[in-house]
Amino acid sequence: MSSHDTPPTSGPARRRRRSKAMRRITGGLALLFVLTALGVAYSALRPAGETAVAANVDAAQVAAGRQVYETACITCHGSNLQGVQGRGPSLVGVGEAAVYFQVSSGRMPADANGAQIQRKEPLIKPEDIDSLSAYIQANGGGPEIPDGNLRNDAEISRGGELYRLNCASCHNFTGQGGALSQGKYAPALTEATDRQIWGAMLSGPQNMPKFGDGQLTSEEKQAIVSFIQNNKATIDPGGYSAGGFGPAPEGLIAFLVGMGAIVAATLWMGSRA
Amino acid sequence: MSGNPNLQVPEADELKRMSKEELAHLGMALDGVELVEYGERYIPGSPADKRAERHVAMWFLLAALFGLIFIIVFIFWPAEYEPAYSDRQWVYALYTPLIGLTLGATILLFGLGVVSLAKKIMPHEVAIQQRHVGMSDEVDRKTLAAQVLDTGDKAGIKRRGVLTGSLLAAGGALGVAALVPVLGGLIKNPWAERADSPLWVTPWAPAPDGTKVRMVQIDGTPIKPADITAGSMVTVFPAVPGGAMAADAAVMLFRLRSDSVVRIRDGQQGFQFGDFYAFSKICTHVGCPVSLYEQQTGRVLCPCHQSQFNVYEGAFPVFGPATRPLPQLPIELDSEGYFVATKDFVEAVGPGFWENGKFPAWYSEPKEASG
Repeated sequence: MSSHDTPPTSGPARRRRRSKAMRRITGGLALLFVLTALGVAYSALRPAGETAVAANVDAAQVAAGRQVYETACITCHGSNLQGVQGRGPSLVGVGEAAVYFQVSSGRMPADANGAQIQRKEPLIKPEDIDSLSAYIQANGGGPEIPDGNLRNDAEISRGGELYRLNCASCHNFTGQGGALSQGKYAPALTEATDRQIWGAMLSGPQNMPKFGDGQLTSEEKQAIVSFIQNNKATIDPGGYSAGGFGPAPEGLIAFLVGMGAIVAATLWMGSRA
Repeated sequence: MSGNPNLQVPEADELKRMSKEELAHLGMALDGVELVEYGERYIPGSPADKRAERHVAMWFLLAALFGLIFIIVFIFWPAEYEPAYSDRQWVYALYTPLIGLTLGATILLFGLGVVSLAKKIMPHEVAIQQRHVGMSDEVDRKTLAAQVLDTGDKAGIKRRGVLTGSLLAAGGALGVAALVPVLGGLIKNPWAERADSPLWVTPWAPAPDGTKVRMVQIDGTPIKPADITAGSMVTVFPAVPGGAMAADAAVMLFRLRSDSVVRIRDGQQGFQFGDFYAFSKICTHVGCPVSLYEQQTGRVLCPCHQSQFNVYEGAFPVFGPATRPLPQLPIELDSEGYFVATKDFVEAVGPGFWENGKFPAWYSEPKEASG
């Protein structure tokens, strides 16, 4: 009854009491919602921090990469990247490093199988290379070329030491390349970009051995890239590098040109005596 | 003797009266040379004479100028290395061409000056020398021979035995001294230490207390299996003082793909660790470092004489002048999980030598592969 009596007077008070309860409920709900949202956001962000792959997976890009793959690569590397006997190797696990090196240097798609697939103008556009890399990376993973600066110009001398130990035996001490067995060769590094050198070291294209990050750390790779690029940009102190092959051509030129000049001068002096 | 016998030698007072030119003529004539034409090239003081002088002086002055430039460049030009990203790279790059060009120009211009001096300033002459035909006269030959022999007699060579003996001793010692660098290698016996001879033992041999030698990269980093990806080759050195400098210690550590089929030489089973194989980097032909590794074909090429070794065939030579496989180093992991050499190589590293394979083994395993 009292409740009946009160409405005219205590109506607002009850509403106030009810709204207080409502506020508690809605407040609790809001807290729950925020906590859940935080949890969801955390669970969404945390793996992104741990593995860059998950964050980089862009379904549209992978699909675009699959398109590129099915246009340009599928004939030799198979419908599931498993490779085709006698045509091309499996691409499972080769990673972005291998895709970037092979495709951006124009070696892939290859004209024909031979002793060595050669560098040429790239057929595939840079954005398609990215898509293709994403597609290959999404199917088996593998080594990736890091983003950002790939050089450390303060470590050129150390890079030279590492280059001479690990690279110079095949690529020559000035990066001119050299012959291997049965028509194969180590290519000249003249046109190689920072990313291509890095990709080649990580993926070991064709007959080049791999130089993983456990063998040559990222700092050591930076030093090597710096050395190679510094070497290429260096002005030849003699004005002409004579092919960059060292004493043999230099000696030959000195002998032929120098001795030729001396003999010619002697003949000229004799003829005028 | 070969002079002119018909020439009348002037008396002393006549010589005193003769001019320099006449004396020069006389001297030539006494040697049997007749000056047909001799004199200044141009009239002294004439415009042609002055022009010739200016011409020669110009070469010498230019030579002096370039010589000075060379000295200045050599001392003051900044010759310190500038890397390619530096703005001053061209300054450094010009140093060598500049000192070469200036010094070269100095020598060339000096030479041109001398040549033009001979052509334009020195007196022009046409000389005729009378020469006899065939051998010298009988009298010339007899007297010369007698002169030589008589000198020996007068010096008393025949009776001075001590002098002759000492001279022979000096000559002999000099000859032997010249031979020592060649024969010296035969003096020291490399086999005196038997199985410990440096030709057999490399720094990979475990220490006397049995401590096995770790494999390290050139910067001293020890190697774990996980550091090396399949299809890699690492040049490793023994972790002992001077290990990276020892001529016989460089080793290639390969990680082959797990599906590779590898032929293992007799008596060398278990030298590998999983897919890891360690072979000497020193070519068995003449000891160059082999390191051109083709990771697909498994061939390792030697850059000196194009020998090729196939890792899948136990590093057997498959091409070129090398005849022995690269020695394999037995490897395992130590308690911390780093690669160590189980023991030293079981055969001699590097180029072949006579006793290779004949010397009694310090291990009981066979020395040469039968495969």
